Amino acid sequence: MKGFGELVRRIGMLFHREQLSKDLEEEMRLHLELRRQQQIEAGVAPNDAGAAAHRRFGNPTLLRERSYIAWGWSWLEGLLQDVLYGLRAMLRSPGITIVALLSLALGIGANTAIFSLMDAVMLRSLPVKDPGQLVLLGTGDEDGIGTSIVDTELYSYPFYRQLQQKNAVFSDVAAVFSMTDDVHGFVLGAEGQAPADSDLMHVKLVSGTYFPLLGVQAQVGRTLTDADDTSEDDHPVVVVSHAFWKHTLASDPNVLDRKLKLGTTIFNIVGVAPREFFGTKVGEAPDMWVPMSMTKSVPPGWDAYKNNFTQSLNLMGRLKPGVTMERATSNVNLLLQQITRGFSDADLSKKNLDKLARTHVPLTPMANGLSSLRREFSEPLRILMAIVALVLLIACANIANLLLARSTTRARELAVRQALGAPRSRIIRQLLTESLILALVGGALGIGFAAIANRLLLRMVSGGLEDLPLDIGLDLRLLGFTLALTVATAILFGTIPAFRATRLHLTDSLKDGRGPSTGTKSLLARSLVASQVALSLVLMVGAGLFLRSLVNLSSLDPGFNRENVLRLQIDSTALGFKDDDPRLRDIFQQIESRVNAIPGVQAASFSAFTFNEGSWNDAVLVAGMPANQDIGVHQNVVGNGYFKVLQIPLLAGRTFGPQDTATSQRVAVISERIAKTLFPPGNPIGRHFHVANNKPENDYEVVGIVKDAKFSSLQEKPKYINYLSYAQRPWRFGDFEVRYTGDFGAIAAAVQSSIHQVDRNLPISNVTTLDEQVARSYTDQRIVAQLSTFFGLLAVFLSAIGIYGLMSYVVSRRTNEIGIRMALGAERMHVRWLVMREILILVAIGIDVGVPAALLANHLVASMLFGLRGNDPLSLFAAVAVMLLIAAFAGYLPAQRASRVDPMVALRYE
Amino acid sequence: MPVTRDDIPPGTLYLLILKTLARHGELHGFEIANSIQQTTEDVLQVEEGSLYPALQRMLIKGWVTAKWGTTAGNRRARYYQLTAAGRKQLVVEVNQFERVMGAIERVIQTA
Repeated sequence: MKGFGELVRRIGMLFHREQLSKDLEEEMRLHLELRRQQQIEAGVAPNDAGAAAHRRFGNPTLLRERSYIAWGWSWLEGLLQDVLYGLRAMLRSPGITIVALLSLALGIGANTAIFSLMDAVMLRSLPVKDPGQLVLLGTGDEDGIGTSIVDTELYSYPFYRQLQQKNAVFSDVAAVFSMTDDVHGFVLGAEGQAPADSDLMHVKLVSGTYFPLLGVQAQVGRTLTDADDTSEDDHPVVVVSHAFWKHTLASDPNVLDRKLKLGTTIFNIVGVAPREFFGTKVGEAPDMWVPMSMTKSVPPGWDAYKNNFTQSLNLMGRLKPGVTMERATSNVNLLLQQITRGFSDADLSKKNLDKLARTHVPLTPMANGLSSLRREFSEPLRILMAIVALVLLIACANIANLLLARSTTRARELAVRQALGAPRSRIIRQLLTESLILALVGGALGIGFAAIANRLLLRMVSGGLEDLPLDIGLDLRLLGFTLALTVATAILFGTIPAFRATRLHLTDSLKDGRGPSTGTKSLLARSLVASQVALSLVLMVGAGLFLRSLVNLSSLDPGFNRENVLRLQIDSTALGFKDDDPRLRDIFQQIESRVNAIPGVQAASFSAFTFNEGSWNDAVLVAGMPANQDIGVHQNVVGNGYFKVLQIPLLAGRTFGPQDTATSQRVAVISERIAKTLFPPGNPIGRHFHVANNKPENDYEVVGIVKDAKFSSLQEKPKYINYLSYAQRPWRFGDFEVRYTGDFGAIAAAVQSSIHQVDRNLPISNVTTLDEQVARSYTDQRIVAQLSTFFGLLAVFLSAIGIYGLMSYVVSRRTNEIGIRMALGAERMHVRWLVMREILILVAIGIDVGVPAALLANHLVASMLFGLRGNDPLSLFAAVAVMLLIAAFAGYLPAQRASRVDPMVALRYE
Repeated sequence: MPVTRDDIPPGTLYLLILKTLARHGELHGFEIANSIQQTTEDVLQVEEGSLYPALQRMLIKGWVTAKWGTTAGNRRARYYQLTAAGRKQLVVEVNQFERVMGAIERVIQTA
């Protein structure tokens, strides 16, 4: 511990430096005085005594210096000096400093933020045991509930049980309901009393094997087990998430005594999941998990437990050790055929057998979990990652250029310092320190920026709804990488000139650095600028393409009028009625008529779906036409005012009216496409058809034909849509739409209070406009367009700075030459052109390289483009024009300065 | 870093200071210088000032401690005193010195 004691003493000295140097001073003064007295006593003349004492003592300044060095902190003082000096130097050219810091901050920040999101959505493993062994049946690309002979994505509960028993490749199999049930449930008080207000709860139905398969342990109580999933409807237990426990249950330590009421059933909380566990779907975070056996009790009460052919589950398995994907795939596909054929109620018609024979289930590794986000955002994120990486490159080039330019303007200062005796190493250290300060301050700003950008990005991805539950903590690996990259750039380009400057022709530099210009240095700077131009051009072309694609998309006609429609969601399951209870229908009708009476409201209607909300698909069977089960017709159950609210034009017949009641003939309004392709030639009005199957209660008469409208996305081809009336086909509604004029806020408030006048307990959520809802369907496109435009402009701005910096430098180096030219009679115009020409050559080279690069790069993003191709000439020309314009502008200022050079001043300057 | 111009290498200076302090107990800088000169009967010309950086280094190494006191002439002076580590170091320095001197002597005598 000897070294340690020394360190402690040294640090003590660091903090008492003032005192120590005062002590030393006093000590040395005392010594000199005592010596002088002694000399006088020995008979030396008083005048000489002091000098003699000094002679014997030595050089006090030097001795003091050596004592300080003995304390061992001289390097720190030197560093401090360098830092202060560096800061002063940076503040002397605040423009350069700000630009350098900003480009560093944006480069580092944007990269880190986008990578963090990408990591959360695409790359990170699930927080479960050995996620690498988990595989999913299918690709995870579908959610919903359907009935068909076979489906490669979704499976029925009985199928899951059979697969679990019969397979030879999985150590276990688990099922998870593909959708999340959003329930307005009640948290019962400690004494079991129900509160006045409901809470929105995201409920996930899972098989009892789900938690054991994942190897997830409860932090309080227990997780669900297979024992909770043995018989239908008698296991009212629930495991809540950490977040739900913390926020809704206020981290109640007696959480296991608490109860929840979902629909009409009271559930016991049996456990709390660990903090990091969010389920198996990235971008979703259920509040609770309920055994599949309780599916009928969790609103809306899917009947998905006993039916052999109601497919609604994602299935996942854990591979046994040593089992390959190939073996697992072949085993699963073999069992798929056996199990499906083996069900006693299997409809083994020829068509179904053909379909079954064609079916092949792929297995997907699910170490990273399921995600619909991934489907939507992996390509945009990849594109954005490439964009910000390019921006980082441009920023680095810029910093390199700025540092190069600055070091040349400082060549004289360095030469003076060297001439005054500063050792070379000291000057290099100085420049190194300055570069490091720049890089580190920029890095710190970058981290701050990344933290903000992260939130912003998440908000954008969430598309205006509540933020997606994604863990987007800054990714330290990438942050480290980008920091290292920028610090390396700063050090490299900050100190290369230092080496050069200190080797140098001192005398040249002392002559104000206007000796023979060193060509290599500006060649480096020039190629940096040219590559900046090329990279910016690529980004600009990309931005142009994405912007135009976005405009194309948003100006597409959805087939309905998206303006001036308010839409909200209610949760009718909170009322506790059965689906077909006439009181439910009465409440809906009352709400519609009350809202209709609000001034400013033109029409109001409930509907099962509006836009981009999932679907209920069933076949439409028309007598005399070949039954095509494969065409899933979207079925939409609506109110009488629906077509008026959405302004979907009626082509023939009529829409629903008060004459259509529960007891009258069931009627339907069909879309143009159904009329044209699923009905025989002739007028379909008055014809009858069946939905799903030929049971008599599914018989409908066509009363109207409406124009085609988009249903799921703007890009889709016209879909088959069949509209039914809720007076005849009971439905628990979610969606309510109101066409209005005037102020949205006022109407929204009035609509909500009208709904609550009808029933105070109806939970209302997601109050927004139809326009927003449509816009949300292309959030990915919008994010890419907005961010690529932002970064494209940023890149061009950075390049402009680069051009400006380079040309300013070139002009200042050539002031002398320009002065001579002008003294010899060169015109100002000519001088200006001299400078501008250089810029244009650089930009031309950049564009020359950039255009083919852009064409190549845009080939890669073709799938993200809508209504145009990657080689869209307009985007290309616009980008080139913007680049030229900005370059000309950036170069104009130095050119102007050059042309204003006074020949006499320039010549005398030397 | 400035080049040292000591006639006496720093190592030997430590030895002299350590030994002086070991003999006299508490001394201030001037007394140390005087004592060295008197003992060596002015043979060794020490640049007196170089005592002070050496004392600073010895403080850091923990061989000596210092505290302020008053001189016989009633002036404030910093008195140095050996620590246990300092005493050990003195032995080390003396041994080293004797080893070197012995070696040099042998070279001289064989000549």
